[in-house]
Amino acid sequence: MSAHQNEKRSLSPLLWLLFGAGGMLSALFGPALILITGVLAPTGTGLPQDFLSYDHALALARNPFGKLVALGVISLFFWHGAERIFLTMKDMKAGPAKVLAIMTYGVAAVVTLATFGLLLAIGF
Amino acid sequence: MNERRPYHRPMPGNWWARPPYRAYTARELSGVAVAAYGGVLFAGLVSLSRGPESWDGYLQFLRSPTSLALHVLLLAAMIFHVITWFQTLPKTMPKMIVGGKHVPAKKITRIATLAAGVASLVLVLVVLGVAR
Repeated sequence: MSAHQNEKRSLSPLLWLLFGAGGMLSALFGPALILITGVLAPTGTGLPQDFLSYDHALALARNPFGKLVALGVISLFFWHGAERIFLTMKDMKAGPAKVLAIMTYGVAAVVTLATFGLLLAIGF
Repeated sequence: MNERRPYHRPMPGNWWARPPYRAYTARELSGVAVAAYGGVLFAGLVSLSRGPESWDGYLQFLRSPTSLALHVLLLAAMIFHVITWFQTLPKTMPKMIVGGKHVPAKKITRIATLAAGVASLVLVLVVLGVAR
């Protein structure tokens, strides 16, 4: 076995990358997304009543670009939150690091896999 | 025996709730709002995969006063995230040199925040325009 096979490589750069990508994506489009899906569409402000209909939502989730957007937004937003919550709670000494990691990165990983699975199950 | 007894500066347990750390805590906790909104969308995807009735239930939630209040709060927190994200940006990126001069951090923050505002505005206008 060569020496560098024994080196334990840190996951931090990968987690930092996901955190940064989620932070930038949410900084650029987060306010617009919340305004559209959370306020304008449910109240029908400036948008037709059937904007959020089942057929429309399904069409979006079946479109390859729609799938990519859904996976990107949901998973990266979770990874962004996970990094910030994990590091803050660790600094607050809120619990053992392993428990905190499962509650943050673990949740983000499960949600990412579930989103991927659901988007596949919904079909094309 | 002479045990080592190094001096530990006292640190109150709630240091994170006190200035100057409070500002950092608030900034980091904006990540909760970002993830929470991801959770709202994830719940929508789960409902969608379960069929029309489940999706209608999700829509009823979105139209409830609770959800509207939640989204107004999430929006405020998200805007706070946008502002603090671009305040941090100059510290996390390599020094930017244009025409042989360093671009001041405040200028980077100003331009990037403005660009993000435009990006969000354009997305809202495109959706409003396409859906019309």
